[in-house]
Amino acid sequence: MRKQVMSGVAGVFVALVIGAVIMLVQGFNPVQTYGALLQYSLFTVPALAATLARAVPLVLTGLSASIAFASGPVNLGQPGQLIMGAMGATLVGLFVHAPAPLMILLCIVASLTAGALWSGVAAMLRRLFSMDEFIVTLMLNFIADYFALWLITYPLFDPAALSPMTLPVSTAAWLPSIGGLNTSVLVMLMATVFCWLVMSRGRSGYEWRMTGQNALFARIGGCKVDANYVRVMLLTGALAGLAGGLMILGGSHRFVKGLGASYAWDGIMIAVVAGNGISGTFLYGLLFSALQQGALGMELITAVPSEFIDVLQAVIVLIVVAGRVSLNLVLDYLATRRRLREAQ
Amino acid sequence: MNIFFGLVSATLVGATPILLSAIGGAFTFYAGIFNIAMEGMMLMGAFCAVLGSYFLHSWLAGIACGIAGALVMAGIFVLFAVRLHTDEFLTGIALNLFAVGATTFLLRDIFRVKGAFTNAGIRAIPTVTLPLLDHIPVVGRLLSGYNAMVYVAGLVVIVAAFAIFHTRFGLRLRAAGYNAACLSSSGVPASTVRIWSLVICAVCCGLAGAYLSLGYVRLFSENMSAGRGWISLAAIILVSGNPWGIAIISLLFGFFDGLTVFLQGSRIPTQFTAMIPYAATLVSLYFYSLRRKGRT
Amino acid sequence: MARGVLIDLQRITKVFPPDTIALDNVSVSFEAGEIHALVGENGAGKSTLMKVLFGLERRNAGDILYRGEKVDFRTPREAIAAGIGMVHQEILLIPEYTVWENIVLGAEPVGPLGRLDVRRARDVVRAKIEEFQFNLDVDALVGDISVAARQKVEILKLLYRNVAVLVLDEPTAVLTPQEIPQLFGELRRLRDKGKTIIFISHRLDEVLALSDRVTVLRRGRVVGTSRTVDLTKEDLARQMVGRDVLFVSQRQPQERGDTVLRVRDLEVRGTDRHGPLHDISVEVHAGEIVGVAGVEGNGQFELVNAIMGLIPVAAGSIEIEAKDVTHADILTRRSLMSFVSQDRGRMGASLTASVLEDAIMTHHTLDPTFTRWHGVGLDYRRARSFTEEIRKRFDVSMRHPADQFQSLSGGNQQKVILGRELLLDTPFVLMDQPTRGLDIGSIEYVHQLILDLRTNGRAVLLISADLEELFMMADRIVTVYRGVMVADLPVEETNVGDVGLLMLGGIRRAHA
Repeated sequence: MRKQVMSGVAGVFVALVIGAVIMLVQGFNPVQTYGALLQYSLFTVPALAATLARAVPLVLTGLSASIAFASGPVNLGQPGQLIMGAMGATLVGLFVHAPAPLMILLCIVASLTAGALWSGVAAMLRRLFSMDEFIVTLMLNFIADYFALWLITYPLFDPAALSPMTLPVSTAAWLPSIGGLNTSVLVMLMATVFCWLVMSRGRSGYEWRMTGQNALFARIGGCKVDANYVRVMLLTGALAGLAGGLMILGGSHRFVKGLGASYAWDGIMIAVVAGNGISGTFLYGLLFSALQQGALGMELITAVPSEFIDVLQAVIVLIVVAGRVSLNLVLDYLATRRRLREAQ
Repeated sequence: MNIFFGLVSATLVGATPILLSAIGGAFTFYAGIFNIAMEGMMLMGAFCAVLGSYFLHSWLAGIACGIAGALVMAGIFVLFAVRLHTDEFLTGIALNLFAVGATTFLLRDIFRVKGAFTNAGIRAIPTVTLPLLDHIPVVGRLLSGYNAMVYVAGLVVIVAAFAIFHTRFGLRLRAAGYNAACLSSSGVPASTVRIWSLVICAVCCGLAGAYLSLGYVRLFSENMSAGRGWISLAAIILVSGNPWGIAIISLLFGFFDGLTVFLQGSRIPTQFTAMIPYAATLVSLYFYSLRRKGRT
Repeated sequence: MARGVLIDLQRITKVFPPDTIALDNVSVSFEAGEIHALVGENGAGKSTLMKVLFGLERRNAGDILYRGEKVDFRTPREAIAAGIGMVHQEILLIPEYTVWENIVLGAEPVGPLGRLDVRRARDVVRAKIEEFQFNLDVDALVGDISVAARQKVEILKLLYRNVAVLVLDEPTAVLTPQEIPQLFGELRRLRDKGKTIIFISHRLDEVLALSDRVTVLRRGRVVGTSRTVDLTKEDLARQMVGRDVLFVSQRQPQERGDTVLRVRDLEVRGTDRHGPLHDISVEVHAGEIVGVAGVEGNGQFELVNAIMGLIPVAAGSIEIEAKDVTHADILTRRSLMSFVSQDRGRMGASLTASVLEDAIMTHHTLDPTFTRWHGVGLDYRRARSFTEEIRKRFDVSMRHPADQFQSLSGGNQQKVILGRELLLDTPFVLMDQPTRGLDIGSIEYVHQLILDLRTNGRAVLLISADLEELFMMADRIVTVYRGVMVADLPVEETNVGDVGLLMLGGIRRAHA
């Protein structure tokens, strides 16, 4: 655990230094750039609130990927499940009429269900035909994307809009904001706590983690590996679906073309840097959200294009992940040296 | 008859990028690397190809730059996965993210555009008319007059099949995949063979990328590889890396890709026709699972 | 016969992180044209020493002199080029390749364009086979030939590279008693042609039969080097272990109880991942140890998997305490049986999990005291006290329950697994090579545990590749050959030689 924190902090720091070098090479001022990044993501109350709101889909898709990877299934379908979840919430928001609290609940349930159904397709194909979920979920991402695009281009098209999008969902389904803070953040926090309880205190979480590390051993130990596989796929699909639903209920209030595209691989990326831990996923989700939120301000103040953050994120992923392994090598080397001295 | 010729041509055109990257991936597959970075290599190749073609005013320079871009990606892969022993899957994911991030950033940084860069200054890879075949009626129309890269792809398949199954390199390559420890104790470090397989993979993906941005179309757009790297990975898994099998599968996907273009004029919404290659991948995975079940 | 020192290892030290000293100032010299045995228990450092010589492991200190000059092989390639070759304990060949492909791999004859010169390769290999009278088919797939033949391929692979020194790491471990003399004959022939042979073993009889000189290692240190003719088996054993060792069984006569495991006419269909089983019938009674003998790969793996419910049973039945579990799910079986596998890292535990997580497996679902909130939560406090209980009762040396399982030594890992399995309240215990890869101290401990199980009235099915172990532990021995049970004999009515013959399919006897 302490090693994780150490390599994480060191890795992020090294990545930021590499980012600074890239900026210097390009003729930008790194100090000014990182200053702007911080200012527009953390240092003012509205910026902080925006960072937190942006963290919602990042953390939720990150949790989805983390739980899946830690438990075995290589669910790379968060983008598709997010789109389906958003579509589920949109459909209920458009066609169901109910008072506000109930409406919100219905929409959330719809997004959870839609996401779970979409990952459930992959789970079913795996169980029935042993088709690798890793390619299946990827292909389902593209299919979900085009399917949603069709829905908002033809049946659900808002005739008043210029680009494909639906009508706004009923206002009863809009998540309120409390003191400038989007309440979808609260839902995200609850989901995080829930995931932590399941993985770190629950019996299922124990079985899932053990299966993820050594499926044969877990099976011999009496874990219902096949049933657990389906459960994990459904749960992680639901989490990604929830991310999509909250983007509708707490964000755009309608399904707009390209929704979720910018979050496509972020969840997987966050799970990867966090080493599939729940708390790590939460923290890296916040970090990446701050980077993405600050990017817009950074572009305003300095000439650095906001896309620079995409590069920086990928560098963080590579350095942190490689750092975890290298750190162990370094520690081993030091231990060997120490033991040799003692032996002499 | 015209529809038939059109479909054949669309099939070959659609198959080329998948074929090239899948052949590249086949080398890493035989070497025992779980390489999912073809998507990123192809994307980087496509961007660098446009870069080279635009600034150096030559499609050949474009291809060379495309290959160089993909090689940089392979270099990062080697550094992390082979040298630092980072997980191959995670490295691949990180590399794909890096490719998307870096190309979007550079697109903005160099060409000052968002989304896509198209310019008359980008030199495209020329088409080739085969000297003798061209005059034979049906055959000439079927086989002649394609983009040069289509013929290169065909050549790559033959060379790959020869290299993998009939050369010293191929024997060692497959040995690295079957049992790396055995190869290493035979005096050939498996890591060296793996590095070479990644280099070859990068060259092929660079060609595929260059074809995408200088042949298939003449522009670069964000994320223009559009999952082709993943489809080629599926193709590799389906035929366990065999180059001839990859050629057949790629043609199949090329056919579906061509179908997409063909059906665009019809009444079926384009969103559904665009799904075809991905749905086809799922269907072929299904048949693969049936075949595997039949064996056991 | 010896013609001066060929290889001189001086004060070699090797540390495995974090703090295991595998080799501590080890100095040995090997003479040209001798068969030199390197003897010691598991973990004494024999293989590590040879891997250091061969360039597979980096040493932390010390010098290697070869033909009088300081050398430093960083890779096996350099070692082979200098004339030193090694045959590893686990056979390192590619089953998908033919014999000649395996032999030439890494030193292939090529034509233009890097094309393999198949004809020349096969001719050279065939010539080598004839020169050393090895009796092999160059075009056979290595996956199809016997283990003994694969070993010949390994040796030929080195001879093809013209090595002067052959290092063989436990070459007899995978052979039957009948195949061993043939190997020894081949090795002597090689020595007589001038090759130097370093032979790693912990089987004392073989060492005495084959070697010219013996070096004994204990816990990473050299105990001494002697001429074989000056040694007795008892001397060697004392040097190896550091105290006197008993070669007799501690098994006391005991009345057996009711039938616990009853396997009747078991049939398993072969697939590309495992072979078939035919006509397997075994009974194990309470308070009885039944041993399963056989050359590895003759159905033991399938038998274990079928009893565990990992592969489907085509016909026949498996009953435990009169309960039919032929097609039961694994959890149901686990309420009736404990299982210690031969493969700790794959089947026995998760190496990357914590000791605690590995210790509570199966208990977490069978024992309600491990759960909270009606089975939804896991009681980590109970899990910790349980891990502590295993540590105390099975004498596990470990620092903290949260430490990674792989940070424990092999013996301690096995103790945790044994503790977990034996604390399950089950009538039947399945043990698949429970002493594999352990040092002598741990082996003795495990043997005592198994005998205690017998005393306490549990039924034990013990699968082992080590006939000596089976004869020390078991009340009855069944022998499998090519997936068929060929004999079921009380130990009193048979001997090692007979069972060895049965393992090779020599004769088929009626069940006693």
